[in-house]
Amino acid sequence: MVIHEGDAEKINAVLTTFLGESGATEALLIDRSGQLLAMTGANRALDTVSISALAAGAFSSTGALAQLLGETEFTVLFHQGNKESMHVSTVDDQAILLAIFGERTTVGMVRLFAKEAATAVGQLLAEARAKPRTIGALSTPLTADESRTSFGEPRKS
Amino acid sequence: MAIINYAQKVINFKVVYYGPGVAGKTANLQHIHKSLPDVSRGNMISLAAGDDRTLFFDFLPVSATTVRGFTAKFQLYTVPGQVYYNMTRKLVLRGVDGLVFVADSQWDRLRENVESFRNLEENLREYNYNLDEMPYVIQYNKRDLANIAPLPYMEFMLNRRARQVPYFEAVAVNGDGVFDTLNTVSRMVLVGEFGQEKGEHRETA
Repeated sequence: MVIHEGDAEKINAVLTTFLGESGATEALLIDRSGQLLAMTGANRALDTVSISALAAGAFSSTGALAQLLGETEFTVLFHQGNKESMHVSTVDDQAILLAIFGERTTVGMVRLFAKEAATAVGQLLAEARAKPRTIGALSTPLTADESRTSFGEPRKS
Repeated sequence: MAIINYAQKVINFKVVYYGPGVAGKTANLQHIHKSLPDVSRGNMISLAAGDDRTLFFDFLPVSATTVRGFTAKFQLYTVPGQVYYNMTRKLVLRGVDGLVFVADSQWDRLRENVESFRNLEENLREYNYNLDEMPYVIQYNKRDLANIAPLPYMEFMLNRRARQVPYFEAVAVNGDGVFDTLNTVSRMVLVGEFGQEKGEHRETA
């Protein structure tokens, strides 16, 4: 999956429109493997990396539950809190859309506009997936030095 | 499945630590979490049952190196090792880019290791992933214990596919071998995604 700058702009535009129409505060587009693809919304310190991993896990878990009941999947997952709630819905078979919203809107509004946003974002993701994976700086093989990672302690010889 | 974001100049990879129950998968992530500075890692999340066994997964995002202006980030996951958690184990494998198979070196755990390895192959097949093409390493953990199988025997049991992969001896609770394992698998994932210049040393060869 590759998101080029142009794709990111278009996806953010759709998510911004979604926030405006639905009244949600944040929208996260998440790959079903748990990785965050794009995000728009209120600029507060949310741990979006963890949220993405957990939401994808929860959504895939409910998908497995659905299959145990003979359903293909449950297309919506909704968590209601006292002040903030979370709505997760299907975009396509590789991505989900997570919306965080407070008391100034309702789950019905979020659900309605999430569906529209998912259709638009799904088309953009399909276009992005059709593009070559590696271009520009990443189009040639790495040298040994470039692929060397050095987490933590120095490597033992 | 690697996600390359040209807008943010970030490449995200998913690495899953697989293996039988209580082999030390979570211990690997805990050591990495404890050892890396805050700038190189995010929060660690553990979805564990009451007895500290992983129920769904552990999750730890780490970032390493800059590759041609892109930050390479690795999202580390563990799976629940117990046989009966296969459904959740399978879910965690979705979109995996690289694997660490954490084996328990104790004699009386050899069968569980082999069963877990077979289970890994089966679960990968369900996603149409092929272990022969997947970057992975094997970590023989708990090498400090008395009742362990010799290394050649472990290798014979777990690393005799057509492509032999790098392996590491480890004592994950002390951190021994943990970063050698992580550095090697992350390097293999990078090379797997972008290739390596001809004539360069490949650890997957």
